[in-house]
Amino acid sequence: MRAPFYEFGAFGSGTALVVALIVGAAFGWCLEQSGMGSARKLVGQFYLTDLTVLKMMFSAIVTAMLGAFWLGRVGLLDLTRVYVPETWVLPQLAGGAIFGAGFALGGLCPGTSCVAAASGRGDGMALVAGMFGGVLVTGLGFRFLERFYDVTARGTFTLPQALHLPYGAVVALVTGVALVAFRAAEYVEGRHAA
Amino acid sequence: MIGRDTSGSRRALARVALALGAGAVLAGSPYAAGRGRIDVQALARTSEREDDHVTAVELARWIRERRPAVRVVDVRTRKEFDEYHIPTAEWIPLDSLARARFDANETIVLYSEGGGHAAQAWVFLRALGYPRVFYLRSGLYEWLDDVMSPAVPAIPSPADSAVAALSRYFGGVPHVGERAATTVAKVRRRGC
Repeated sequence: MRAPFYEFGAFGSGTALVVALIVGAAFGWCLEQSGMGSARKLVGQFYLTDLTVLKMMFSAIVTAMLGAFWLGRVGLLDLTRVYVPETWVLPQLAGGAIFGAGFALGGLCPGTSCVAAASGRGDGMALVAGMFGGVLVTGLGFRFLERFYDVTARGTFTLPQALHLPYGAVVALVTGVALVAFRAAEYVEGRHAA
Repeated sequence: MIGRDTSGSRRALARVALALGAGAVLAGSPYAAGRGRIDVQALARTSEREDDHVTAVELARWIRERRPAVRVVDVRTRKEFDEYHIPTAEWIPLDSLARARFDANETIVLYSEGGGHAAQAWVFLRALGYPRVFYLRSGLYEWLDDVMSPAVPAIPSPADSAVAALSRYFGGVPHVGERAATTVAKVRRRGC
């Protein structure tokens, strides 16, 4: 049997929803366990006192990347069937800036705000309400945004394409960057703890 | 987590990541193994059970019933497709088949002129992992003989009448005659 299981018809959309629910709950639980539901911990990033988010994100990226690469290589995963989000350079830069501003102001990102809300934190609930409000406003005002929404489309644009490197070389490069980042993060945290 | 010394396991994880990351440089493309794989035994069993094809009359029923998620695919040349094709069919030539996108829940019915190319296309799509693929065994000839001009006995059984009605639905002309006549026509069939 090969993955993605849903793409190859191993289960239908009903089962896919159940699987998504289980994976989503596990994701939330892991975020909460690593302390990501706390805005205090998250804003530690910006003061360089606690770089847990950086380490967690890079761990997740490296784990998923190595898993996808090697499972694809041994033929258990068909990477051509894995959805790659398309790139729109300017709209995504603008979106990233807004996201970053919200993250710095509120201390939580969309995923962690859901975790914070689920564990009963008031700031999490306020951010979730703000997020849905923002989605609603964007939807209602979409016709004003529509032209900007479609500029600088690059389609599915990946690092191997951008860097003109083989897939495996990019995997090695990202792994190396992550390991250096882990070491640097520990060093910075150690300096602040001392 | 706090207070427990996890530096040993973290170091081990870092080493595993480094080994897998460095190995990736030499491993080649991860897509190479994703070009489709053939489970010969499974495909052979499917063929043995005759679960690999549909008859023209079955296909005609599916189309008339508007059975959901059925895609009829013509793998012949564009010129042939433009001259005549089975209603609802879409044109995807053999060399584009690997790039075509189907959903896993779709039933794909392939046909060519005589059936040979469609049978090959069936193997290709099964190798790409699509679970519900069929082909029209004797191709467009079977469609023309059995749906567009079926032979109906002078005293038709209810089944024969149903086929005649199906034929008229597609604009066919059922004719009264012996089954033998179509058998001769089948012998004259060319390759694929």
